[in-house]
Amino acid sequence: GGQSFPEGEDPSVSLFRDYLRLRTVHPEPDYDAALRFLDRIAEELELPLKKIEVFPGRVISIMTWEGTNPTLKSILLNSHTDVVPVYQEHWKYDAFSAFKDAEGNIYARGSQDMKCVTIQYIQAVRRLKARGWKPTRTLHLMFVPDEEVGGYKGMETFVKQPEFHKLNIGFALDEGLANPTDAFTVFYGERNPWWITVHCPGS
Amino acid sequence: STDESDPWWNAFSASCKEMNMTLKKEIFPAATDSRFIRAVGIPAIGFSPMNRTPILLHDHNEYLNEQVFLKGISVYERIIPALASVAALPNEA
Ligand SMILES: [Zn+2]
Repeated sequence: GGQSFPEGEDPSVSLFRDYLRLRTVHPEPDYDAALRFLDRIAEELELPLKKIEVFPGRVISIMTWEGTNPTLKSILLNSHTDVVPVYQEHWKYDAFSAFKDAEGNIYARGSQDMKCVTIQYIQAVRRLKARGWKPTRTLHLMFVPDEEVGGYKGMETFVKQPEFHKLNIGFALDEGLANPTDAFTVFYGERNPWWITVHCPGS
Repeated sequence: STDESDPWWNAFSASCKEMNMTLKKEIFPAATDSRFIRAVGIPAIGFSPMNRTPILLHDHNEYLNEQVFLKGISVYERIIPALASVAALPNEA
């Protein structure tokens, strides 16, 4: 669909709200809508967009901004395109309308997890390009399905494929969480599920 | 690694410091795609530039304020160049 520019709204906010309106919600995410959206962005940014179908209907898209020294390891800016379901009856507004209230709060499934980050990467890259800046290391913006249902049909499988290794990634950024205070939370590790079987032989 | 000697962490945290951002280092309480990236040996940081925001992921009435969102673009505008300019590492050509 066409981009809407409500009067006086920052175009980055309008783009964010457009993306929030795409129903990439489980159990049947409209991934095609996300792919069309990304096609449009890649065209605007004049960056190549590669699509790899990891499973039928599960496509990973990679937008690449080649660095001036492409032999160096690249930087990955990763985000997932899917969102978890909603119980609409508990919402003040339609969870896919991206309603913005008088305080500027934008309500939508995915507003925090993590469509904000996707658009922030895109708009930061757009501004850097417009300024004439060029990266030394190659930048990859990766858009991944399936994260919210475990990642098997997305990242888990993709990292084991040659196409992933060809990206020659040295460092990755991915999602974090909101922080209610003035500080920003940064995650440097992750809790691992660790299953233990305890055998209790009875007497 | 969040050791100051780690060139990636150093680039990331130094640009945040330049923007007077306070960082709180944590271990992620859930599972994200980063775990697969780390599993193949690539260092990854989980970061969404949302402060002054209640944690509402997966919750009803999930929202983000537009000013916080816009500030986040400027944050990446600093972090991305810092990361993309990390000098060649000892194991790189
Ligand atoms: Zn997420």
